[in-house]
Amino acid sequence: MKTWQRNGILAVAVLLFGAARLPFEAGLSKELRDAGLTSLPMQIGTREKIGQTSSAVALGGLRTLVATFLNLRAFTFFQEQRWADVADTFDTIVDLAPRTRYYWETGSWHSAYNAASYFINDSKLPPLRRREAWRDSILRGRAFLERGIKNNPNDWSLLANLGFLLSDTNKISAFRSPEKTFAAAADAYTRSAATGKALPYVKRSALYSLARVTGEEKNALALARSLYAEQSNRTPTLTILLLVLEAFENPNLDTAARANELFKTPEKAYDALSGHWQRTRERFPVYGIAKGLEALEKTLNITAEKSIFTQPPPPQFDEDRWFSQ
Amino acid sequence: MTAKTDHTTHGSHLGRILVIAFHAFTQLVRMKVFYFLAVFAVIAIASNFFDLPQHEGPEAEGINVLRSIKSWSLGTMTLFSVVLSIVATALLLPKDVEDRTLYTILAKPVPRIDYLAGKLLGVLLLVFVSLALMDVLMTGVLQIRSSMVLDQQLAMAHSLGWPPAAIESLRAETALHGPSWSLQGAVFAVFLRASIMASLALLISTFSSSTLFTTIISFLIYFIGHFQADARDAYLQAGQAGEGIFARMATLVISLVMPDFQNFNVIDAVIEGQAMPILILGKLTLIGLYYALFFTVASWFVFAEKEF
Amino acid sequence: MDSPIPAVEIKNLVKDFKTSFRKQMLRAVDGVSIRIMPGEVYGLIGPNGSGKSTTMKALLGLVAPTAGQCAIFGKDSLKVDSRNDVGFLPENPYFYKHLSGAETLRFYGKLCGLKGKTLDARVSELLALVDLEGARDRRLGGYSKGMLQRIGLAQALVQEPRLVILDEPTAGVDPIGSRQIRDLILKLKEQGITVFLCSHLLEQVQEVCDHVGIIFRGRMVKEGKLDDLIAIEDQTEIVLKDASPELLSQITALIENSKGTTLIRTGKPRTTLERLFLRETTNREDQP
Repeated sequence: MKTWQRNGILAVAVLLFGAARLPFEAGLSKELRDAGLTSLPMQIGTREKIGQTSSAVALGGLRTLVATFLNLRAFTFFQEQRWADVADTFDTIVDLAPRTRYYWETGSWHSAYNAASYFINDSKLPPLRRREAWRDSILRGRAFLERGIKNNPNDWSLLANLGFLLSDTNKISAFRSPEKTFAAAADAYTRSAATGKALPYVKRSALYSLARVTGEEKNALALARSLYAEQSNRTPTLTILLLVLEAFENPNLDTAARANELFKTPEKAYDALSGHWQRTRERFPVYGIAKGLEALEKTLNITAEKSIFTQPPPPQFDEDRWFSQ
Repeated sequence: MTAKTDHTTHGSHLGRILVIAFHAFTQLVRMKVFYFLAVFAVIAIASNFFDLPQHEGPEAEGINVLRSIKSWSLGTMTLFSVVLSIVATALLLPKDVEDRTLYTILAKPVPRIDYLAGKLLGVLLLVFVSLALMDVLMTGVLQIRSSMVLDQQLAMAHSLGWPPAAIESLRAETALHGPSWSLQGAVFAVFLRASIMASLALLISTFSSSTLFTTIISFLIYFIGHFQADARDAYLQAGQAGEGIFARMATLVISLVMPDFQNFNVIDAVIEGQAMPILILGKLTLIGLYYALFFTVASWFVFAEKEF
Repeated sequence: MDSPIPAVEIKNLVKDFKTSFRKQMLRAVDGVSIRIMPGEVYGLIGPNGSGKSTTMKALLGLVAPTAGQCAIFGKDSLKVDSRNDVGFLPENPYFYKHLSGAETLRFYGKLCGLKGKTLDARVSELLALVDLEGARDRRLGGYSKGMLQRIGLAQALVQEPRLVILDEPTAGVDPIGSRQIRDLILKLKEQGITVFLCSHLLEQVQEVCDHVGIIFRGRMVKEGKLDDLIAIEDQTEIVLKDASPELLSQITALIENSKGTTLIRTGKPRTTLERLFLRETTNREDQP
């Protein structure tokens, strides 16, 4: 048989062999993607993809190694405050290693916290643009975290992080509706707790957020009661919120007496209530607090000068001031 | 000693293949180049035991360092095994031809397929043994580091007064990132990928008599194989975007000829702490076997008619 | 009585090779036929590029004939089982340098299906035969050329073949080693093993072979029994020891008186340089 004939047969055999295994490999690819073991190709350009894969191949075919190096690069960008580069790099990083919680958390942290804080003070931009940039960074951070949650639906930490971001009152004004945001925070915390792997504080944080959503007081109270049932959950904030929600349910509740019950002594009760009264920034509900404070001031003989109502309120969250210079 | 008039020496195919395989193994092991390569790989993996600059930086805490160890070790293993498979296979046949030892072997009653299968098996044996040693090293280092990390984390958890349920879940999560059966599965997947490359290099070396040519082409195919999945997807979904016939032909040829190495990205998933289902490993093994068998038979097809 | 199967039967072997750029084929072997009966020692001689090696390779199935057939003890060369009966020593062989002599023989023995005690016994036997027992555990990388040729011969004999093919067995070997190899070939001949060799060193072919074929440009130009071919038909040689001058003049006179016979030459026959060399370099009493 002549050489060219043999080569011809060989070429055909290779193609046929390829055709035979193609469906098996394609099936395996799909199976792996469905199981979440490999990721769906993201919508990034071909050249970038080639760049990624080449680096991966060069590093022994491991995308996670490329992610490690890119993370170092992103860190340098962070130190140089090149926020757009940080965001772009993290987009690539999570494409390479989508199941690594650390990258999602760090990426969103850079956006929602570091970049946002930077823009508060950046004097290069006019105030309106700064505010826009600040807002934008926070929204991006949220979106990034949500993407991470989509890729890792059972990760309690990502959900808890989302809850934390959304219930951060320093950032709440970036979102359109504070109510909806607190509700979303509570939802995130609840889902995090539902994974069964969350730390204990997560359930409490769910309550803290839920308590700030008008219309959800009933559910919040039920949650507070179930949490309070366990000794380890009785943090000061939780205890106070229990009191507040009970006062909402029952406007005739003797808040001072209940506070004494919960906090054991009138002094402690007064400290707790006055602390909560001053905590205006965090937009907690204050049902029945004023009433209770008045009653406790009488009981403890606190003079008018020292009364909590005459103290100057804590500095307000004044973003207009931030962005007016 | 007289010449026998009717002499039949029957060896078995398997016997001959094993003889050639073991011989190829010892020949390769004694080559200084591979010795240095192996030493380098061992150092790279053992270095994970210490806290090196590669462990510093933003990812250094907790389970992230374990992930770092795993990705460095598996990366070293992959690089080493692919290079070893390709280069070792590429030089075996030309070496025998150049040294004329091929004549003495083929002048014996040794079928050519036994010869090819034996050489391939020898390379695979070498790659397997090296990976096994590196795996033992990696698992050892990982075990030590993960118990260190676990102790650190438990100490912190106790000092913060976490409830037992939370501590349990912390322990479980750290264990997930330490040595596990999935990790062994990932090492086996590395071996499978290297086997595919070895059998491919065998086929190419039957065409070309130059070690360099075989090596370069094999690496090129290894590289392109990582894009095969994209080409395949493009081909299967094409026609809607109205791409040219040329693009279609190109993606078709790439899909049919190149192996799909993207499926092996499951190794990344294991590094990130996911579990590898045994079924997936089974399927990857089947693919590896399929390639190895086909390429060996194809090599025989070419080699059987080769003249020396 | 049935005619015995020839050890080697090459019928009208033709082999063409493609040259790199031109379409023209190079005809390396052009209709060569050789028949070697069992027990013969056959020498194939010819200039470089005459097709000797190609013919041998065709016989061993390393090269496929363009036309014609080759068979070893009746089995077609293109089939693997024809090689059960043959051992091959290629020209300038490089065996695996990292193996020792004994390991090399074990490797080839296992390839032929030998194992266990049989293999061990055979290896020792062969090493004794080729006089390499002292170097059995030394790596082949440390062997001299002559030792390499001898281990090569041992390897060719490992499965007790009935036919041995040797390609330039004494090329590059010093006279002592050469003599050893020649003695080995004669020993094989004594045991009835057929030997097919090719060589440039015509004197050595003359000493060992009983049949000879001369190949030139791919064609067999002369073939037959050695003695028949090189005897100068019309001359006779008489060698005398301690002949007196009177006897010599008597014989000379006798020759002059007979019709048709001419005296061509008298004088002292010469020994060969080889014999002188061997006499001077082996077993000298004044050597340590």
